[in-house]
This record gives sequence, structure tokens and C-alpha cells, in this order.
Amino acid sequence: MRVSRPDQGLEIRAVSKSFRLNGAPLPVLDGIELSIKPGEFVTIVGASGCGKSTLLRMVVGLDGDYDGEIVHAGKRVSEPSLSRGIVFQEPRLFPWLTVSRNVAMGLENAPMTAAEKARSVADHLALVGLTDFRDAYPGQLSGGMAQRTAIARGLINRPDLLLLDEPFGALDALTRARLQRELQSIWSRERITMLLVTHDVDEAVFLGDRVVVMSPRPGRIAHIFDVPLPRPRKRTDDALVRLRNEVLLALEEATDDTAAEIVDFPRRDRDGASRPAHLRPDAEAV
Amino acid sequence: MAIAELPLPIARYHAPRRSRRAWSRAGLGLLLPAALLAFWAVGTAYRLFPPQVLPPPSLVWDSAVDTFRSGKLLSYAAISFYRVVVGFVIGAGVGLVLGVAMGLSRTVDDYVRPLFTAIAQVPNLGWIPLLVLLLGIGETLKLTIIAKAAFIPMVLNTADGIRRVSPQLLEVARSFRFSNSQLLRLVVLPAAVPSIFTGFRYGLAKAWTALVAVELLAASEGLGYLLVWGRQMFWMDLVIFAIIIIGVIGFAMDFCLTRAETYLQRWRTEPEQ
Amino acid sequence: MSRALDRRRWTRFRRGVTLPVLLIALWFFATHAGLVDSRLLPPIEAVLRAGRVEWTEGALLQNLEASLFRNLAGFAIGSTLGLAFGMALGISPLIEKLCGPLFHGLRQVALLAWVPLICMWLGLGEASKIAFIAIAAFVPVALNTYQGARAAPPQLLEVSRVLLLSPRQMFRRVYLPAALPSVVTGIHLALIYSWLATIGAEYFMALGPGLGGLILAGRDRFEMDLVILGVFILGLVGFALNLIAQFAAGRLLRWE
Repeated sequence: MRVSRPDQGLEIRAVSKSFRLNGAPLPVLDGIELSIKPGEFVTIVGASGCGKSTLLRMVVGLDGDYDGEIVHAGKRVSEPSLSRGIVFQEPRLFPWLTVSRNVAMGLENAPMTAAEKARSVADHLALVGLTDFRDAYPGQLSGGMAQRTAIARGLINRPDLLLLDEPFGALDALTRARLQRELQSIWSRERITMLLVTHDVDEAVFLGDRVVVMSPRPGRIAHIFDVPLPRPRKRTDDALVRLRNEVLLALEEATDDTAAEIVDFPRRDRDGASRPAHLRPDAEAV
Repeated sequence: MAIAELPLPIARYHAPRRSRRAWSRAGLGLLLPAALLAFWAVGTAYRLFPPQVLPPPSLVWDSAVDTFRSGKLLSYAAISFYRVVVGFVIGAGVGLVLGVAMGLSRTVDDYVRPLFTAIAQVPNLGWIPLLVLLLGIGETLKLTIIAKAAFIPMVLNTADGIRRVSPQLLEVARSFRFSNSQLLRLVVLPAAVPSIFTGFRYGLAKAWTALVAVELLAASEGLGYLLVWGRQMFWMDLVIFAIIIIGVIGFAMDFCLTRAETYLQRWRTEPEQ
Repeated sequence: MSRALDRRRWTRFRRGVTLPVLLIALWFFATHAGLVDSRLLPPIEAVLRAGRVEWTEGALLQNLEASLFRNLAGFAIGSTLGLAFGMALGISPLIEKLCGPLFHGLRQVALLAWVPLICMWLGLGEASKIAFIAIAAFVPVALNTYQGARAAPPQLLEVSRVLLLSPRQMFRRVYLPAALPSVVTGIHLALIYSWLATIGAEYFMALGPGLGGLILAGRDRFEMDLVILGVFILGLVGFALNLIAQFAAGRLLRWE
């Protein structure tokens, strides 16, 4: 268990960001204010297009171009750091490396001896239950196992902050439920600050101490819910179900309530949830 | 894929199979060549073709044995082999470096690609007379042509492979604060290896073709020269034998390269196209 | 956004012409300052002059026509046969088992190694040249068609069996469209290889007009300007053929 120091928290102050699409600025995030205490588990839930993934990338440091302040461990975040780990929606494992080598990738720049690194890799593989598969290649793994490997890799540097971008979105329901439980138990044991982004309300409420509901276009925080329920949580728990319904309601409100902005998206249909605008990777940031 | 299905220990990709099906497949495949061979032997025995056009297989075999006994086969094969290997190493080596540079840097690509494409438009064969006038007909000419033949596909495939490296994997590496040299060494180059190997194979095939071409045109020894000699002397059997040898060596080289590729990429589980 | 794209294109163009322009300038300077033997590297004007001479007095047009005609004939024959054979290999497991190994074995032989054989069987005339070019076109088309036909998705084949499609319908509706991208690649390659083979044929079976003959004549007479001219035209035709192939491929595979 790690010691939480007060300056290891995350501060997001008045953060905004715009992309450029076809010459016009496309606001993606607007005035995000969020304060995360060390050791907290915060989930962000919102429909596609509310900028939650963009926010996560900015917090981890892959995108340093934004207005406002993101402060972690007392410093403004503008580039990646080993004190911040990230798990993406795709496992993003290196196909030519075994499971253990993939996890060890994270220690490439860590100031440890080879023996220490090996110990750490073994420990983290045990943590996610993949010790028996340390010599398997990603091509031989199931989706759930690959994502577990990615989680081990995200934790290997013992970061203060672990960011998870819809980590279970690509998995089937059963695997997803199981991995959510595993993530919860990892968090309970290690007490790493976690910020998880998802579009699944059940997941958000099951995992988080606080649930942040975002509204899309541009991404804004619509509501923050407290989840004062003890862990391990039961999905059938009355209080949990009630809270979940509240969050779902808030989410629906936030999503339908989108301002009728005249931003021309290539696809926009009215089937209850607007289709997301897919930003091209070469869209220039303003 | 359920955990129960995962083989433990991890099964080796490309495990050899000695099944009955494999044998029957080989048998059927040999049927046509065997039939042709039989037809050839019988045809020449009954004088269906004039002997200058198609000598009997026994004659081809005799000349094969002769060439081998006189040491010519080995020395010519060695010379051709040496030319191909040296030329290929030079051409592929330079091609690899240039391909990496072009793949990594848009600027380099912008400057080099048009000129490169222009040179690539002229078939290797077209360059031979030009280079003969410039370099004479010595070893330099042959090595240059072979190197150039290997160079072109190497550059194309390498640049392509480097450019195709998944940006997602690069992001992961960046999140671990990889320096540029780490990115290159640990992510970009390994990810580009399949394309680089494709470049090797095409380069080798082109180098081999170029070797035959240049030996046909401007050589006094080598397997290509064997062809020329046979033709000039109207020794069809020698020509046929030389063709067989050239085919066999070409196949052997490609086979070794494929094996090496499979070994280096044993992490691949999807079938390669 | 489009302005940024234009700027990018202009930058690319600007950079792309730098090296060729520099080389031409170097060529001009080196020849005029007497830095190189003019027999090894004639001045640019000499090449242009040779071009003009060949066009007006020489037989440049006829040579070019002859080469192109052979190229087309061999390409057409080889591609058609290759298409048929490749399809047969891809569709019928029996034919594949029977003829596959022989085909794969024969195609290992470097293309030019066939020249002496063809010469001895068919002489040095048109027939042998076209035969050689046809072989050059045959191999990539057959190979790619075979791979394309093999890539027909088994799910679609199952569906067609359930729908009781006749073999001819299956061919037209499943095998052919599934193989089309590979076939197009194969034909593209065949175009390149057949041009290569045309020149090769003209080198080795040097009977009759042709661009290759022109280049060889230049080499024999040690007239570098002629050789350079020939090589330049060679590249130009190769480039044009490549362009045509890319354009055709783009049109045929619009849905990709």
C-alpha cells in the first residue's frame, strides 16, 4: 500500500481545448474543473463526443496543448511522466514481445537493477493473474487477458495516478464484469489514484468514489455524484441501483440537452444519441 | 479464445506435420512433372523431337555430371553466388538505411522520392548498357547492377514499413517517456520488420534476376555464362541444365529467407497474406 | 484546411524537384567545364540533338512503335493465359495439387534464364520475343490471381452453396470479385515486367527494330548520347505505363 501525499493529487482547473476541423474551430472541452484527492477513484461517464478521452490524454501528458491548468504532484502537466500510467481501450501490446516483456516495457526508463525489474514484473503479473502466461505472445491471448497485461504494464511503474480510457469497452459483458471486480480489488489493495473514463453507467457507479457526468459538444461537467458505498460493492445492492438510476437520468439529461450548435459534422442522425464527430488524426489543434 | 484452449507450454508456430495428407499432396504434385519427364524421355527415344531442340534427359544428366566433375559447376556457381551475395548486401544495406531515413523523415522523403522513382522507372536491364560504357565489363559493373536491383525494392518496402508503424504503439511508448532512440530501436524498427523482410525477399529475387541478366550480357564465367556458352555451342543439354541450376538456387535462397523470416516472427499467429 | 494542404503540396513539389534540378545543373556544369570526358558523359545538348536526329532522320518512332507493339502483344497473351491458369489453380484443389508445384518450381527460374532456350527453340524473330514477354506477364498474373481466388471468403462460398448457385454463378459472383484486387495488382506487375522483358528480348534476340536495339547500337558504337537518350525514353515509357496501370486500378477498385 502506498502512502498518499497531499501533493500527489490531480488538479484540473478551467481546462478547455479546441480542434480545427475544416478551417473552423471545434470546441471539445470547455471549462473543466475537477479536483482529485490522492487515493481516490473517480470515474467519468459521458456519451461519445464529450471529450473525455481527450481530457484523459491531456492528463497523462500526451497532449500538452490546452488552455487552463492540469497540475499533478505540484507541476503543470505537459508531457508524459512515469508517475502517471495509462491503460487504453485497446490493449496496445507489442505483438513481437511476450507478455512479461510487454509489461517490462514500462520499466525501460526506470532506475532499477535488472533483478529488481524482473521481480517487479513477476509481482505485477501475479497481481493480474497472468503468471502462467508470461511467455505467451499477444496473438495467443484473449481480449480479457490482453487487457490485463495492459493493466499490469500501466501499474508497473507504481504510478501515483492511473488513467483508464474505456479499458473494458471492447470486451464481452462477462469478461468486463470480471475485470471490473479485479480492478476494484487492485485499487483496494494498492490505493493508487485512479481516473477511469467510460460510457457505461453501471461501470462508473460500481467502481468510483465519485462519478463525473459530462455533457457533450463541447465537453462540460454536468454533475458530480458521490458514491459513499463501501467496497466490495454488490451490483444488486439497493443503494447502488438507486444511485445508478440517478446517474443514468443525469446522463440522459446532459446528452439530450446539447446546445444546437451549428458545427457541421459529417454524420448526425437523430436516433436518440447523436453520432460522434470523428476527428481526423491530422486535425490541427488551435 | 477460452483459457482452456491456450496450449501450455506455448505451441511452436509452424510445427512440422508428417501426416498422411502431406505425403499424398507431395505425391500428387510430383505427378505432372514425372509425367512430363517420362514424356520427354520417351519422346526423345522415339525421335519425336530433333535432338538439337530437345536432347534426351540422359544427355542433360551427362552434361550435369561433366560440369560437376570438371569443377566448372562449383566454380561458376560460387562466382555467381558471390556476386549475388555481395551485390545484395551492398544494395540492401544502402536501401535499408535510405528507407529508414525516408520513412522517419518527411523531409528526406520529399527530397529523395521523385529522383528515386525516376531511377526506378528504368528497368535494371536498361541500365546495363549505360553502366557498361561507364564501368566496363568487370566485376564493378556486375556488382553495381545487382546492388541497384536489390536497392529499389528494399527502399520502398522499408520506407513503407516504417511509415506504417501503429501510432497507438508509439503513444504507449511515449507515455513511458521513451527517448527518440528508444522509440526507433524498440518500437519502430521491430514493427517494421515484416515489411523489411518483404523488401529482402523482393530485393534478393531482383538481384538474382539481375545477376543472370548481367552474366548473359557481359560475363566470362558464372551460371549465366553457362547459359550463353551452351547456346553458342548449341548444346541444349547444357542450357537446360543451367536453367535447372539457376531455378534451384533461386528457390533455395528464397526458402532460406522465408525460414529466417518465420523464425524471427514466431509471434505471428495470423496467416500471412 | 485546403490551404494547408496546398501549402504542403507546394513544399513537397519544391523539395522534390531540388535534387533532379541540381543533378542536371551539375551535369551541365561538369560537361561544359571539361571536368568529365565527353565520351563518358556527353553534354545535355548532345543527347537532345541525338534525340532530334533520331526522330527526324533515324527510326526512333518505328523503333518505339515496334517495342510497344511487342510489349502489348506479349502482355495481352501472357495476362490472359495467366488469368485463366491462376483462376483454375485457385478454384480447383485438384488442379492446384497437380500443377501447383510445377508452376511454383518453374517460376523460381530467373526470367532471363529462359532466353537461350527460347532462342534455340523459336529463333530470334518476333515469335520468340513475344513468347518471352508473354512468360514475363504470365507469372505475376497467374500468381496474384491464384492468391486472389484463394482469398475468396469461405463464408460467402457457403452462402452461395446454400443458395444453390451454379458453378458459373459462383465464379462470377464470388470468386471474380474477391480476386479482383489481387488480379489488378498482378496485372500492374505484369505491365512492369513485360516492359522489362521487351527490352530484354530486344537485347538478346536483336533481330528487327526496337528501342532495346537502339540502346545496344549506341553501346556498340560507343555513342553515349544515344544510350542516354534510349534509357531516358525507356524510363519515360515505363513511367507512362505505370501511370496508366495506377489510373486503371484506381477506377476498377473504386470500392476499396
